[in-house]
Amino acid sequence: MTLSPLTARKAEAPVTLPEKAGASRPGRRRSSHSRSQARAAYLFLAPWFIGLLAITLGPMIASLYLSFTDYSMLSEAHWVGLDNYEKMFTEDDRFLTSLKVTTVYVVVSVPLQLAFALALALVLDRGLRGLPFYRSVFYLPSLLGGSVAISILWRKIFGTDGIVNSVLGLFGYEGQGWVTSPDTALWTLIILHVWTFGAPMVIFLAGLRQIPQSLYEAASVDGAGPLRKFRSITLPLLTPIIFFNLVLEVIKSFQSFTQSFIVSGGNGGPVDSTLFYTLYLYIKGFKNYEMGYAAGMAWVLLLIIGALTAVNFLMSRFWVFYGDDDK
Amino acid sequence: MKRILAATAATLMAASLTACGGDDGGGSDGRTTVVFSYWGSDARQQLTETAISKFEEKNPTIDVEGDFSDWDSYYEKLATKTAAGDAPDVMSIEIRGLAEYSGRGILADLAGKVDTAKLDQDVLKAGQVDGRQFAIPTGVNAFPMIVNKATVEKAGKKVPDDKAWTWDDYIALAQSITTETDGEVWGTEWNRNPAFLEIFARQRGEEFYKDGKIGLSEQTIKDWWALLQKISATKAGPDAAQMNETGTKVDQALLATNKSAFGSWWSNQLTALSKGSGQELDLLRMPKAPGAATGGMFLQPAMYYTLSAKSENAEAAQKFVDFLVNDPDAAAILLSDRGLPTNSEVVAAVKDKLSPADQKVLAFIESVRSELSTAAVPPKGAMEMEDVLIRATDSVLFDKASPDDAAKTFISEANSALSQ
Repeated sequence: MTLSPLTARKAEAPVTLPEKAGASRPGRRRSSHSRSQARAAYLFLAPWFIGLLAITLGPMIASLYLSFTDYSMLSEAHWVGLDNYEKMFTEDDRFLTSLKVTTVYVVVSVPLQLAFALALALVLDRGLRGLPFYRSVFYLPSLLGGSVAISILWRKIFGTDGIVNSVLGLFGYEGQGWVTSPDTALWTLIILHVWTFGAPMVIFLAGLRQIPQSLYEAASVDGAGPLRKFRSITLPLLTPIIFFNLVLEVIKSFQSFTQSFIVSGGNGGPVDSTLFYTLYLYIKGFKNYEMGYAAGMAWVLLLIIGALTAVNFLMSRFWVFYGDDDK
Repeated sequence: MKRILAATAATLMAASLTACGGDDGGGSDGRTTVVFSYWGSDARQQLTETAISKFEEKNPTIDVEGDFSDWDSYYEKLATKTAAGDAPDVMSIEIRGLAEYSGRGILADLAGKVDTAKLDQDVLKAGQVDGRQFAIPTGVNAFPMIVNKATVEKAGKKVPDDKAWTWDDYIALAQSITTETDGEVWGTEWNRNPAFLEIFARQRGEEFYKDGKIGLSEQTIKDWWALLQKISATKAGPDAAQMNETGTKVDQALLATNKSAFGSWWSNQLTALSKGSGQELDLLRMPKAPGAATGGMFLQPAMYYTLSAKSENAEAAQKFVDFLVNDPDAAAILLSDRGLPTNSEVVAAVKDKLSPADQKVLAFIESVRSELSTAAVPPKGAMEMEDVLIRATDSVLFDKASPDDAAKTFISEANSALSQ
């Protein structure tokens, strides 16, 4: 689903991330333990960093240069200054459409997906028998969700003769072609995204395990019910994990490509209703031969995602609780 | 996004690396390698590989390396290779990409280099841009109405006289077929193919492109949309959402699955449609506007063979193209896979080997040949036209825009694509 193997790799990291709530910090003196932890962190970062230097950096600089040109792939690049950027925001309606479509997709699907993931994590955390099995089963969609095969399957499920309409037919409701109607196409993709709740769910599960049991016991003694416990203990102590998942999923879903590429047949249709930003970028670069423009779009996307992440971090001050408020 | 950048860059780098890897042609043993790029189905790949072997057998000093990809990624790959200075010696291109590639100095002028004497001279002109022969048509196609006679008759109707039928006749007949079969079979499937609109417009004396711009009037586009709306409103055919699903994939065509009696497809798709249907399908002229002076149908090269202007093995590449279009041995293998051959000698030699469906196409095209004009090469930017048209059409069919607004949007977006 995501375009970036980098974020996918990052998603595996959180197992070590959640700081034990209420755990005391190591002293000011850096112990040898924390030094070796730092070394381990750098080691884990190394493959990504080497990849960045060896593979990504050069092309990124090249693309920055190309974004100021009219490069078409088929002929030489000519310097055009800020023309590409200007065009995006003043002339290109489809660019704005793609921004709108992507924003709706992110704003709707990310909270839904996280809520779903959290709910399931809570259920699984109740010491279910065969937990590893269920965990794996629920994780599966995360592995498959971004694949071409699933996108094709989605077309079938939500097609005129698909499963959804067969089920609706049982209740006497005549369905429609969900993926091929402009009013519903994006929603099928949102459902697809929510369905890939496995990755955040696993992270939530790890987070739930970190909450000290003693807090719940104390709450029980005070007569708190399950709802109260959830609101006053689980949720606040889980906020760092929620925040982490939120940042990751926003970045990831802003870069979604495969689903709309396959489901819409590559043009973001019907009537641009599934025109994701990256899909439009791809169309511009590879189909319309406006590679300079596409490079500019890539940089705008980087800025947008950077800004969103920064806002996310700023906002986090107001709602994320790290359990060690000594600031 | 990083991955798009990285992928682009990696492809570029990989491509330029292969380019540095250098001279595949003219090795020390006197052998030459010609790279031939093309797209298509697995079946086409097999046919092409067989034809290549045949050519190598006849020309022992030349190796031909087939560079195959599916349609969806074909132009992306070709553009990337071209950007890296590693364009294939022989490139397959279709009519919408021709101006794009010839206009940028990528293609060689083939005049006098490939023997074209026996090809249909009219069709050959559809390989010229600004009077220069940049491309040799592989074969031709028409865009007819295809009919399943058995289905029509089962609904108690008669197949109409295609010399006289109008758009209204067509819709009324299709509607009655849907009704008679209780909706089990649709009267007709329909599409948003620019070729359909072009035929519709030519019947009114308009051209799709004129002087490098859109030649269609707003009224014509709106009337065409009204026709499509009428088809789905009267249940002569399915609604837009369902037609979107079938898309342009011939194996999912309603004709191929026997779920409709009529439908329009390119003539070289008849074989695939017939195979899917298992029933006999026939070709008809498109319906006409009442009083139209012309039926509007045209012959279009299915695709072209072109040569890279930078090829270091131009001579061998020319020989290969010559073999593909002029040698009956090549045609006996490729048959009508790249459209019906236009070399009269070749056609005569392979006629009996053609599938029954292809023989029908051949007979149909011969019988209506005098009514068909030849397609002109559309201007640069035409590759975007189908997407632009589909977007505007859907916005009308799904009530997202009024036909007036959508027609204006279409013309301005289309013209801006052409002026890039």
